[in-house]
Amino acid sequence: MSRIGVFVCHCGLNIAKTVRVSELAEFAATLPDVVVARDYKFMCSTPGQEMIQHDIKKYNLDRVIVTACSPLMHENTFRKVIENAGLNQYLLTIVNIREQVSWVTSDIEEGTAKSKALLNGAVYRARLLAPLTSRVIDVNPDVMVIGAGIAGIQAALELANTGKKVYLVEKNSTIGGHMAQFDKTFPTLDCSACILTPKMDNVLQHKNISMLTYCEVTEVKGYVGNFDITIKQKARYVDHSKCNACLACTEKCPGKGISEWDESLVKRKAIYIPFPQAVPQKPIIDKNSCTYFLKGKCRLCEKVCEQKAIDFEQQDSFINVKVGAVIVATGYDLMDTKPLVQYGYGKYPGVYNALEVERLFNSAGPTAGKVTQRDGKEPQSIAILHCIGSRDKNYHEHCSRVCCMYSLKFAHLFKEKTSADVYQFYIDMRAAGKGYEEFYNRLLEENVKFIRGKGARVTQSTEEPGRLIVEAEDTITSKFMKLPVDMVVLSPAIVPRADYKDIARLFNLSTDKQGFFMERHPKIAPLSTMSEGIFIAGVCQGPKDIPDTVAQALGAAAEALTIVVKDKMELEATTAMVNPASCCGCQNCVRVCPYGAPAFNYEKRVSEINEALCKGCGLCASVCPSSAIIARHFTNEQVLAEMEGLMEF
Amino acid sequence: MTEFKKIEENLKTEATRLLKEGLVTVVLAYGKGFDENHPMPYAAKTIADVENIVFNEYCNYNMARYLVRYPQGTKIAIAVKAADSRAVIQLIQEEKVKRENLVILGIPVQGMKNPKTGEIIDSKTTCGMYNPVLYDLLLGEEVHGAKSASPYDVLAEYEKMDKEARWEFWKKEFDKCIRCYACRKACPMCYCDPCFIDQSKPKWADKAPQSPGNMMYHLTRFHHLAGRCIDCGECSRACPVDIPLYLFHKKVAKECEEMFNQAAGMSIEDKPVLVDFRVEDSDKILE
Repeated sequence: MSRIGVFVCHCGLNIAKTVRVSELAEFAATLPDVVVARDYKFMCSTPGQEMIQHDIKKYNLDRVIVTACSPLMHENTFRKVIENAGLNQYLLTIVNIREQVSWVTSDIEEGTAKSKALLNGAVYRARLLAPLTSRVIDVNPDVMVIGAGIAGIQAALELANTGKKVYLVEKNSTIGGHMAQFDKTFPTLDCSACILTPKMDNVLQHKNISMLTYCEVTEVKGYVGNFDITIKQKARYVDHSKCNACLACTEKCPGKGISEWDESLVKRKAIYIPFPQAVPQKPIIDKNSCTYFLKGKCRLCEKVCEQKAIDFEQQDSFINVKVGAVIVATGYDLMDTKPLVQYGYGKYPGVYNALEVERLFNSAGPTAGKVTQRDGKEPQSIAILHCIGSRDKNYHEHCSRVCCMYSLKFAHLFKEKTSADVYQFYIDMRAAGKGYEEFYNRLLEENVKFIRGKGARVTQSTEEPGRLIVEAEDTITSKFMKLPVDMVVLSPAIVPRADYKDIARLFNLSTDKQGFFMERHPKIAPLSTMSEGIFIAGVCQGPKDIPDTVAQALGAAAEALTIVVKDKMELEATTAMVNPASCCGCQNCVRVCPYGAPAFNYEKRVSEINEALCKGCGLCASVCPSSAIIARHFTNEQVLAEMEGLMEF
Repeated sequence: MTEFKKIEENLKTEATRLLKEGLVTVVLAYGKGFDENHPMPYAAKTIADVENIVFNEYCNYNMARYLVRYPQGTKIAIAVKAADSRAVIQLIQEEKVKRENLVILGIPVQGMKNPKTGEIIDSKTTCGMYNPVLYDLLLGEEVHGAKSASPYDVLAEYEKMDKEARWEFWKKEFDKCIRCYACRKACPMCYCDPCFIDQSKPKWADKAPQSPGNMMYHLTRFHHLAGRCIDCGECSRACPVDIPLYLFHKKVAKECEEMFNQAAGMSIEDKPVLVDFRVEDSDKILE
């Protein structure tokens, strides 16, 4: 016999609007073992909490059911409430009648009936609940940051400055990310390199940052506080411990590769550093364009290297790192606009994408900052087409957020560097950031022509070879127009990195429809993920500008710090265990667990679960054919009882 | 095809050799039953036992069923027909037996018969293959040129039924079940001990041979065998009340094969398909 108290929350009108809360409380009072049932306007408020604690003492309750919002919101609140009143926190049951009931119906009959069914199930289950003890684990004080763009750099510096050891992992051979490709940043037009490179240098110099460039994460094991991460150091064929960055090798190298850094606009050497301010300022050899690797001879770089740093025998190596928390800041790619054949990208040399144009403006870029087209001529007229592939149901529904502003920046820079006429083709101008509207107004005065209408098609002029025609409907005048220009700039959708699925899988992250990593909650946990101890920052979470990215990075650093600042932490007690007498040795649990918690004991021929690794997701219990696995807090008996209660309705 | 008598001879020769040389401690094959038409599963442990071994068209038991009964590390020789060899493969995949502990005596054969009906067993109730997939020794010539039908052809009529009709069909069939668990006993993949249906905490279903409990037992068993059933058809032949269990197993196997491009027990390199995650896996199952 248990003594259950049921507490029905109105959540103002959030619940009370579509659930008859007092009727629900009256119903609760009739259920077996329920000794007290009440409803109250805000159960999470101090009077609400005190009501629960008072009743626990007065009625000697040993189970508490709160029917309210999602347990994601207030489970912890109410756990503390009952714990402070002397009950084990796992004797609490939350019935979610807000997200799962009142917010998904407008019919009060339906809402009330479903609430009753859920509550009935909860009472049946609550009777079988058992007190559980939380586990205490040691916490590794180090942090790993994946991706060394501005987000990763900022987060790493922030953490390192608190005295924590940070591993900064970067896929490319230099840190810096997309921001290092830009010339100017909106709306202030300050020099991108001038504000970024000092930070890059800080990373290089910082004694607490271990910079792992040209590296990729290949395996993640462990759990919050104790991640065990394997990193692949891709072969650079240059021993960076010997290299003194004289760069004689890059001068002599006859190999030619396509410069990824310059968005394929020019060629680079096979042994190269991506750009003059690269960090580390040490070259790597690109196997795919190196004459020696392609043809078996050359090794010129080896001959000129006084430090004997060239090592053609170098192999990929693996580094193992243990950390307490991880920040994922993997950034973005631009959508490939080639499939949008109507815009002629890749077909007409005069059509550029936004990142290519960033490089054209950059003094360290392929044209040394001069705006010249692929044919070497300066454009006389330029059309900038917004929303290519974004805000478009056929491709990506989301707004890429920064294109309006960087398109304005482009217009300004074009005006500054050329005498061209500049046209903006936009759906509507989104300038919702600090100083952004002002920047827009400034551009309006710079003789840039704004045409409200999405660029529909780019064709080649038949009369003037080499010129392009932009077709669009000017929606202000409702006139269809054809505009001849020399250069077309596309602002493509910002999309997740091509390998986002691998990262998501490694860290157990969920993604939204577009593939951006999902935050735990858009408002109250925007940098956390459903994987405890893994945080996200920057554009990998969704398109955003540099100020927002930096703000997120700082936030993520603080979040990571909340974990690694302590030596020990408490973990949920809701883990799984194996009853060896029933285990049939099929190893289904071993195969399905995403956390590697179950292991097969070949001697005893049964599975065993490492509780430190177990997250209590219940996958193993559900695939166990002989029900040998018991998921604590969600045992088969408890779940079956709940279902029985549900199905009585 | 090599004659049954010749296969029996080869089986005896190999069994004698393997036991004599101490390469195995037991040979799982077939022995005499109460008449010609009813041979029995047989485990020969000594050279003297070998003369009891028989092989004829009624030897359709899947001897892989008995592999899991021996302690780990036991060296076993096992006589397998096509579907039986798939069961061995599946058990190797599930790490219930180790490849190096087995000597697989492959029997390529066609024209096996159901002792109850005298009917030839073919793709209707089994996987319809004639040659073992995995073996160390072949006890006869491989069967080639035989008419091979898809094991799923037999589903044509079943698949014509809509959801309600199928439900009614199985309700009627399961009502016949007397809960003797012969299907479970005959099945090489049913090795759980205890079986979920024998458990009392929680009690998953009623143990009495009545409708809801029967339904729970069979549907759960089907579910547990999804992606694992190698389609030997032994469950259906073992059933004293002739429930066409093979229909459900074949249907699930077909869906599984279409969805994940992998049939059960075809390669020891495969992983058990339903507990193996591959990035390229179809998401159809979630729809």
